[in-house]
Amino acid sequence: MQHASGSQLGAQQSGGQQPDGRHPEWSAELPGSPMRAHGLLTRAAYGLGAVGLLGATGADALAVLGRHTGLHLIGSIELVQGAVVLLGCAAMLIATMIRGHASVHIVTDRLSAVAQRRLARLAALAGAVLFAVLAIGTAWIVGELWAGYEETELLHIPLRWLRVLWFGFTVLIAAHFLYQALAPKTAEQGA
Amino acid sequence: MIAPEVIGLLGITLLLGLLALGVPIGVGLALVGLGGIAVMVSPEAALIKGGVTSFEIISKYELGVLPLFLLMAHLCFAAGASRDFFDVAAKFLGHRRGGLALASIGGCAGFGAISGSSLATVATISSVALPEMRKAGYHPGFASGALAAGGTLGSLTPPSGALIVFGIIAEQSIGKLFAAAIVPGALQAMSYLLTIVLLCAVNPALGPVTARTPWRERIPALRKVVDIFVLIAFVIGGLMIGWFTPTEAASVGVVGALVLLSVRGGFSRRAVGEAIRATLHTAGMIYVVIIGALLFANFISLSEITEALSGAVTDLHASPVIAIVLMTAILLLLGSFLDGVALMLLTTPIFLPIAQQLGYSPIWFGIFLVRTMEIGFVHPPLGLNIYVIQGLAKDLSLGTIFRGVIPFLAADFLHLALLIAFPVMALWLPGLVAG
Repeated sequence: MQHASGSQLGAQQSGGQQPDGRHPEWSAELPGSPMRAHGLLTRAAYGLGAVGLLGATGADALAVLGRHTGLHLIGSIELVQGAVVLLGCAAMLIATMIRGHASVHIVTDRLSAVAQRRLARLAALAGAVLFAVLAIGTAWIVGELWAGYEETELLHIPLRWLRVLWFGFTVLIAAHFLYQALAPKTAEQGA
Repeated sequence: MIAPEVIGLLGITLLLGLLALGVPIGVGLALVGLGGIAVMVSPEAALIKGGVTSFEIISKYELGVLPLFLLMAHLCFAAGASRDFFDVAAKFLGHRRGGLALASIGGCAGFGAISGSSLATVATISSVALPEMRKAGYHPGFASGALAAGGTLGSLTPPSGALIVFGIIAEQSIGKLFAAAIVPGALQAMSYLLTIVLLCAVNPALGPVTARTPWRERIPALRKVVDIFVLIAFVIGGLMIGWFTPTEAASVGVVGALVLLSVRGGFSRRAVGEAIRATLHTAGMIYVVIIGALLFANFISLSEITEALSGAVTDLHASPVIAIVLMTAILLLLGSFLDGVALMLLTTPIFLPIAQQLGYSPIWFGIFLVRTMEIGFVHPPLGLNIYVIQGLAKDLSLGTIFRGVIPFLAADFLHLALLIAFPVMALWLPGLVAG
């Protein structure tokens, strides 16, 4: 039985890695094939997530150090806010790519393989619908606030571009879910 | 016109159906939440709510705490912290009757402080401790029962992932929740230790004594955990006394873990990359769940179902304790087929307002909820910890492990009853720190 949940913070599947430590999707980079673009997107997502994680770590650690040594880092909270947007967007896309979203398997594990595959497609379709709705909602908000030049207080980080980034990622995540819902059966899934 | 409470009930039923069909928890929560808002307010309101809430979540400074604590945990794993806590405890306690089982509880408490996860704790410590205990002639049911129960310590021991998620969705101070978890967590560990001692006193064959480790080996072994212990104490202590905010504490923890990794000779681009990758996998899943939980909470709030339920409880003029006991029964029942975080996210928007109206502190409720959720990790039929152990020791039947966990389950129920009867167990330390 395989379960995944938010409580299993450290026990999540890593998505099944190759012996060389690379994620399987990283290996599928045939020149000129759609998988190459997929591989590049995966790399970009990991890169962006790493920048977000390390950026948030650096900004907050320097803020603490500065506060205790009298050298204040102005706007550290805003820097962390920017960094967590990057890591949040990237992390959700990665979790979708590796099919790493938490779900309850107690019922589906008792079904036939065919029924399990159909339900997995249905679940992916539900994910696509959700992220399409979030994309429309985000686009609506971006449109409403665009002329307002929304920005942070101290460092004047333009929030509208962060909203645009989130909109782009909701579209990518919806597309990925849709691909998982409609993609033809792979050899791994069985005939 | 359908009454809002009925729409709320229909939404909850639909959500349970979607979860049973394998729809991701976050996706199910968000779809039902948005659908409910669309029906009760308007489709436009649901679209805007989705756009606003999702960006609020991913740009929330306070939410940075979760991926950063995860990164700290993964860096500590890369530094080889996994088996050290059990190894050290085994050297100190192994020569006593049931000593390796006692050591496994110590190992779970130590590792749980790093991982913040019940399943990660039980998987890691069992992989080390179970073969040792079986080699020493321990009864398999007793050994696996102690490990399954000990693993649950990972959910409550700060910095706990479950408490962070609760703090975010219930808008409660994560520092106070961590402080509130310390006394109940310590008492929980002690209740397991006492259970082991009592079981071995009644039936010494359960946990035979092993060879005594000389002191000249014990002290060097202690050095293997001192650095990690100091890091955790610094991060949690600094957070509790106000040196850092939770997000800053997590950042300091990450820097400390990087230093620890370097000092232990494990620092490499590959090791750090793997830790970042594992962090992103888990963080992405949790972000979707939190967005879904907040949208679902909005819908539940609109449906006024919680007001109707708390009104019904008040009208009964029964003691608030009765209402909490009833909630416990519902949580344990739901915990039979829903796993931990799904249970927490589904029930927090419904039960927390009721508990608050009955005069309970939301901080206490967070500890109560996580504690009840932990019991779900070991009670049949779901009992995820049991399946993890069975996955590691395939020759052990599920029945053997479930039978082995029964005495620990009794200790769990006693501990939960004490937590309900004496909320001060959870509220004393946060009050002290705040004062």
